Amino acid sequence: MAEQIKEEKNVRGALRFDQKPWVRELLPLLGLLLIVVIFSFLTGGKIIQPKNLQLILSQLYVPLIAAMGVFMIMTAGGLDFSQGSILGLTSIIICWVSQYHILLAVVAGIFAGALMGAFNGLFHVKFKIASFIVTICTMYLFRGLCQFITTDGPIAATVAVVALNKTWLKILLTGVVILIGFFVFRFTRLGMDLRAIGAGETAARYSGCRPELTKFLIYVAAGAITGFASFINVMKVGSITGTAGSQLETQILIALVLGGLPISGGAKASFSNILIGTLTYSILEKSLPMVFPVSATQQLVKGIIFLCVVALTIDRKSLRVIK
Amino acid sequence: MGEIILRSENLNKHFGITHAVKDVSLSFEKGEIHGLIGENGSGKSTFCSMLCGIYPISSGRFLLDGKELKVKTQVDANRAGVSIIVQEMGTLSGLTVAENIYLGNEDPFVKNGIKNVAVMNKTAQALLEQYGFGRINASAMIDHYNFEDRKLVEIVKATYFKPHVVVIDETTTALSQSGREVLFTHMNRIRNEGNTVIFISHDLTEVIEHTDRISVLRDGELIGTVTSADVTPDDLKRLMVGRELGSRYYRTDYDEPVSSEVVLSVENLAVSGEVDHISFELHKGEILGIGGLSECGMHEVGKAVFGASFHRSGTVRLSSGVHINSIPCAIRHSIAYASKDRDNESVVISDTIRDNICLPSVDELRTKRVLLKKRLDRFAQNHAEQMSVVMTGIGQYVADLSGGNKQKVVLARWLGKDSDILVLDSPTRGIDVKVKADIYALMRELSKKGKSIIMISEEIQELLGMSDRILIMKDGKINGEYRRNPALGEEDLIAKMV
Repeated sequence: MAEQIKEEKNVRGALRFDQKPWVRELLPLLGLLLIVVIFSFLTGGKIIQPKNLQLILSQLYVPLIAAMGVFMIMTAGGLDFSQGSILGLTSIIICWVSQYHILLAVVAGIFAGALMGAFNGLFHVKFKIASFIVTICTMYLFRGLCQFITTDGPIAATVAVVALNKTWLKILLTGVVILIGFFVFRFTRLGMDLRAIGAGETAARYSGCRPELTKFLIYVAAGAITGFASFINVMKVGSITGTAGSQLETQILIALVLGGLPISGGAKASFSNILIGTLTYSILEKSLPMVFPVSATQQLVKGIIFLCVVALTIDRKSLRVIK
Repeated sequence: MGEIILRSENLNKHFGITHAVKDVSLSFEKGEIHGLIGENGSGKSTFCSMLCGIYPISSGRFLLDGKELKVKTQVDANRAGVSIIVQEMGTLSGLTVAENIYLGNEDPFVKNGIKNVAVMNKTAQALLEQYGFGRINASAMIDHYNFEDRKLVEIVKATYFKPHVVVIDETTTALSQSGREVLFTHMNRIRNEGNTVIFISHDLTEVIEHTDRISVLRDGELIGTVTSADVTPDDLKRLMVGRELGSRYYRTDYDEPVSSEVVLSVENLAVSGEVDHISFELHKGEILGIGGLSECGMHEVGKAVFGASFHRSGTVRLSSGVHINSIPCAIRHSIAYASKDRDNESVVISDTIRDNICLPSVDELRTKRVLLKKRLDRFAQNHAEQMSVVMTGIGQYVADLSGGNKQKVVLARWLGKDSDILVLDSPTRGIDVKVKADIYALMRELSKKGKSIIMISEEIQELLGMSDRILIMKDGKINGEYRRNPALGEEDLIAKMV
């Protein structure tokens, strides 16, 4: 009998509508559909014309790839504001190295990104500074370097890189990165450790995880992933100015939250957050100017929409100070 | 049979589909102290919460003095003559003692919307004097007083208006011996004034000693009401659990030999400010109890054995010669640890049962370095079932489980790992009798299989009842060592603790 009563209690706990796993999973998807429907209507169907869809797609690759790393960082309970600046700086490095060899440029981009990520990780893990503070600092630091290097004008890549700017190639590269990310997140110890660390670092430590090492590694990985995204960025734009990649960090963070990732990370992080979130963000970004020609209005509407979505989807139970 | 003051008639409470109180019809007499007991979740607190207007009643009713009691808030209840002293802190910080006493009842001191603080303080001070708590200053902030004094203020708050019925909900656990005596004195006073006390407590001896009658709830149902003078704690336990516990609760053997094979040796272990150079050995199949006062350093010893004590000196060595210096190293070498701080250290509270059970074994669960969900699911399901964790499924979050079930998840993960050495810190803390018995049985079974257990406990009975050998710690040192022995009593251990 005692068993039964407890069981009933637990069933009740699980029955709470907003706690059901599928509700959490579906809510962001519903948000995406809602935004597609509303803006198809508001733009008179313009947003779902092939031309615009193609534009949306072309703007999707870089944030989608870069979001992968931030997603892992946030799953483990951290934050990262420096990815935009990392993108800018690695793009410049890729442009330089591409003068010698294209494959070498890819490797250099990844390596440079990893190095910058390691810098973040070192300060966060070793010197125990909250991740959002470290990465806000490095955001300015790397951005400053970008602008210093580009003082005399944009840095251009070799023409051969720009020649690679083919849709199939970009889709292929992005797809491969997504698959690798998915595999790591779902099928490796690292993915499981990340969720456990985000859900409770001390308990994860007592379960045999190594939170310090793991966190350092994902900062390195996130930098490396953004370094790779930079290559696609360079392919697309050909030459890099001092502001390349700025705002990418907020774009990623908002996209992930729109995708349903709890701000505090943890076990409720789901890989679909990245895909749905980035897609939702891109569609919003593209359709708002069509509906509201004035940029000030766009900002206003964007703010309101984000606030509403976050208020609707945020997991209040697991809210706490972000490390 | 005295005159009946309060009666519940077919009282029910549903929380969603949970039926927390089932058709309870219970009478309380004028001038009695009526004990209310039951396991965690048996419905005693819910029953009283409905009486005091904290929860609405699902169906049924209370009759006070023959009239139906209809209250929506605690203040309503007070006006009707029912008050409650709650389990947790019942006073509000940031208010004065007097403000706390008259909270919700300030009207007598308010004139034209202005509260006359001076009169209120004076009246409150007179009350405190009358109760014999003259050392408490009515105009001082409640925050100046410790937990115990605040409880005394609550006694005043709940009883100054001479209510017909006073509910005291598990207040004694928070009080020291002298505080308890004060509480009992006032309980008796209320009774002698012809009013009624409903007394809820987990301490069965205390309940028997201080009540006239006792009602037992189990799973929301009223099992029966007994006269306190006629029962023993074992009778009550039986009523609460619904089956014979007595002999199976602790182990009963006394002369089973312990293997001489040493599996773990701790040498010169020291943690600054906590543990002062101690050494001991753990044998194969042994249950080694470590006891002492909470601050004696025993909890840190448990952490050290698990490699989780970060600033220690000395060595923790397995029989194989391996030194344990980090948690991953301890886990790899088959050491398990259940912390006293269950929610922060033993389980990843906002993660699923599946992940919690699988985490320590994750390396073994990989198929060519890949984690397959099916395999994890099967592993978690098996071990959760083996420990009979009550859950909706392995995907449920641990945060939703009761304390006993969380501990079962903790044990399930280490059983899954097939650990040879288990360090269990306060394994039955905050866990009800039934799960407690399960845990003891499991420990016994494990030790028979040759697993060694270090049980760190603040409960002397548990140490005496389960250990092959007991180490008593005091101020970071081992102050006494005892072999299992029927002659060993609580006093022997206490003498070494303080």
